[in-house]
Amino acid sequence: MAAALEGIRVVDLTVWFQGPVAAQHLADFGAEVIHVERPKGGDQGRGVRSIKALPVGDWNQYFLVINRNKQSMALDLKQQAGREIMYRLVENADVFLSNLGAANLKSWDLTYEKLSAINPRLVYATTTGYGHFGGITKPSFDMTVQALTGLMTRLGEPDQPPIYLGMGSGDAYGGIMAALGIMLALYQRKRTGTGQMVDASLYGAQLFLTAPTLQAYLATGSQAFSRQRSRKAAPNPLWNSYPTKDKWVYLCLPNEDDNWRRLCQSIDDPALAGEARFGTPAGRREYAGALIERLDAALVARGAAEWMKRWTPLGIVASPVNNLADLAEDTQAWENDYFLEAYCEEVQRQVKIRGLPIGLRKTPGKVESLGPELGQHTELILANTLGYSWEQIGEFKEQGVIP
Amino acid sequence: MSKALEDILIVDLTTEFWASLGAAMLADFGARVVRIDELPETPRPLARGDDRHPTASWDCLHELANRNKQSLALNLDTDGGRDILRRLVGAADVFITDRPELVLRSKGLDYGALSALRSDIIYAHGTGFGPKGPDRDLPALDELAAARTGMMPILPQPGQPPVFSGSGQMYTTVMLAFGVVTALHHRQATGEGQQVDVSLFAGNMYGASLDVQAFLAMGGERFLHPVSRLDAGNPMSGTMYPSKDGRWVTLTMPDTERWWPAFSELVGIDREDPRFNTHEKRCEENRLEMMQVLEEKFRQQSADHWRAGFNARQLSADVIEDFSYPAGDEQATRNRYVVELEHPHLGAIKTLGFPIFMSDSMAQLRSMAPCVGQHSCDVLRETLGYSADEIDAMKVAGAIA
Repeated sequence: MAAALEGIRVVDLTVWFQGPVAAQHLADFGAEVIHVERPKGGDQGRGVRSIKALPVGDWNQYFLVINRNKQSMALDLKQQAGREIMYRLVENADVFLSNLGAANLKSWDLTYEKLSAINPRLVYATTTGYGHFGGITKPSFDMTVQALTGLMTRLGEPDQPPIYLGMGSGDAYGGIMAALGIMLALYQRKRTGTGQMVDASLYGAQLFLTAPTLQAYLATGSQAFSRQRSRKAAPNPLWNSYPTKDKWVYLCLPNEDDNWRRLCQSIDDPALAGEARFGTPAGRREYAGALIERLDAALVARGAAEWMKRWTPLGIVASPVNNLADLAEDTQAWENDYFLEAYCEEVQRQVKIRGLPIGLRKTPGKVESLGPELGQHTELILANTLGYSWEQIGEFKEQGVIP
Repeated sequence: MSKALEDILIVDLTTEFWASLGAAMLADFGARVVRIDELPETPRPLARGDDRHPTASWDCLHELANRNKQSLALNLDTDGGRDILRRLVGAADVFITDRPELVLRSKGLDYGALSALRSDIIYAHGTGFGPKGPDRDLPALDELAAARTGMMPILPQPGQPPVFSGSGQMYTTVMLAFGVVTALHHRQATGEGQQVDVSLFAGNMYGASLDVQAFLAMGGERFLHPVSRLDAGNPMSGTMYPSKDGRWVTLTMPDTERWWPAFSELVGIDREDPRFNTHEKRCEENRLEMMQVLEEKFRQQSADHWRAGFNARQLSADVIEDFSYPAGDEQATRNRYVVELEHPHLGAIKTLGFPIFMSDSMAQLRSMAPCVGQHSCDVLRETLGYSADEIDAMKVAGAIA
């Protein structure tokens, strides 16, 4: 089957997570992505040795999964000769993507002005920390930027510490946002013939990530939207999380009498069903705290699976609150290719990986290889793509421009 | 200023915030998006029964998710209404919907039916759990998808209830827009249209990708139960500590060797303190002790003090803010992440802006979210070529409003 981004060449000068994952989306759909790395050590993501104080094991999934389907070129951009190679690469590319600091790109003369002069068709994309405008140079990592959005402060129970959404959660969002920006620019380029500059910052993306509540706060300025709110104060007790005998469940029922009747039926508690103050939508809202307490007490009587067995035939919409072990075995994830198995050269066996979250039926994404070895394709790219002679390549080696 | 998608016509049959917003992102970049508001009663977003409409006169989420769109009010249970939609699809490039598959089939709005009207249509379908598998028909609710994704139990501190963040749907929004533009790119090259599938489940999984992937590869109980913030793997990375005024600070300095000289000086730990003077001691042997020490140190000064210190030393650390910070942050307005607009009734109000910057084709706020049926006549007349008499007849028949 054809690939959607066949014929698109991406120069991926990124490190860690947000930048590489943006290019991964393009690579999954068939773009030729060249991950350009410093000869010594390469992308810092290669150095990840532990996650959550646990050793990463015999294959570095942090790096290998987000750099799948890519080629690696090791290049010393501190040297002029290295930059000349980069310019030739850019001349032959459609997209340049970087999440290095603006000062860094400037010192290597890899600015938009420079590269777009070399190739006016180039889409020059960055994932800055805090936006294209404003000139903020402080470091930007996922969690320190998530901290500024206000989302962390809003989540969880009152008086509990702020909540972080999980490792790389904001980077992932900045990544897909950048991929969207690049595609918009590529689409437009086919019409106009010229490229442009695109930026999707970590800050801008993460502000959007909290859109449902931030938008409400912007509209009203009300702390009701910026502060933590207890599940014990949910305005609709039928749309809330509850502990059971084992795992929690999430109940998703509009506050309607029919839903309440069916829930009571499943709980098998005539006293609760007969309590007048809970008998109307307004009553359930007014006495939400009391009702949540009652449901807390009632639902711990059985396990989540047993509740689901009772609820499904009654049309009660709910889900057990699963953990990652449940997810790893979730049929739904595997059947939709959200998980895949792929061959890992590093350990010479099939490994389980995050799959393809976006389906294009006629041009589906693919995982053809996991992340490359550092500099694995340097010479091939120099010779085949850029037309350097083997003699010149030998000189680059001697000069230490390439390893 | 050019527009990236100025040649694109999108038919938007969505109700849920995340799906409507995906179409709005394309409208922001110039696509003409015709939102179908179904008659006699437009399906409302699934009622959570919470206070999602913060002002009686202004539904700020509807505004965000439908800005820059036109509204065509159609009764799809009438022949006239169905005929109009078929003609519109025939003229369109993209069809976006979040209606359940079974409903789409029953109304003749599935991919097979619409691609018969327009063979190169890009047909984007947002669902709860994807097009395959036993749960493909479960409702498209972010809570259900988040509950299945495995992260809710481990976001809070130990002993606390699971946390639903509402962010999973937002990944799905951008995946939807990305999928559509990628398919458009392919169509531009080959003339071939196709169906695009995204789901809230995939969005939630993708948002949690590092934890999910790490668990797949490594396993381990630490991924299944909440880990105390004072039991982090690295005291200087992914950690948070309360300051004197109750506001929190957070640190991300994974390579501690690089940051230790400046950081130790700021918090007042002797750089050569034998407990903490190597990366191994900080992150392994004396990891827990170091977190206790930092807990104590950070409590001694205000959050503003710490921010000034972080900034002066260019440390990778910051203060954990609430929404008042971005609402008043010049950086957010300067980059148009937050914009002010003049509302016809409410005056100057703030709204979320545009997360993507494009130098030659900036996102634009051309119009506010439309009223139901605001553009029905325009679309029929200008896009589909109906005469004034025909439009009147459609109105009388109840096909449009």
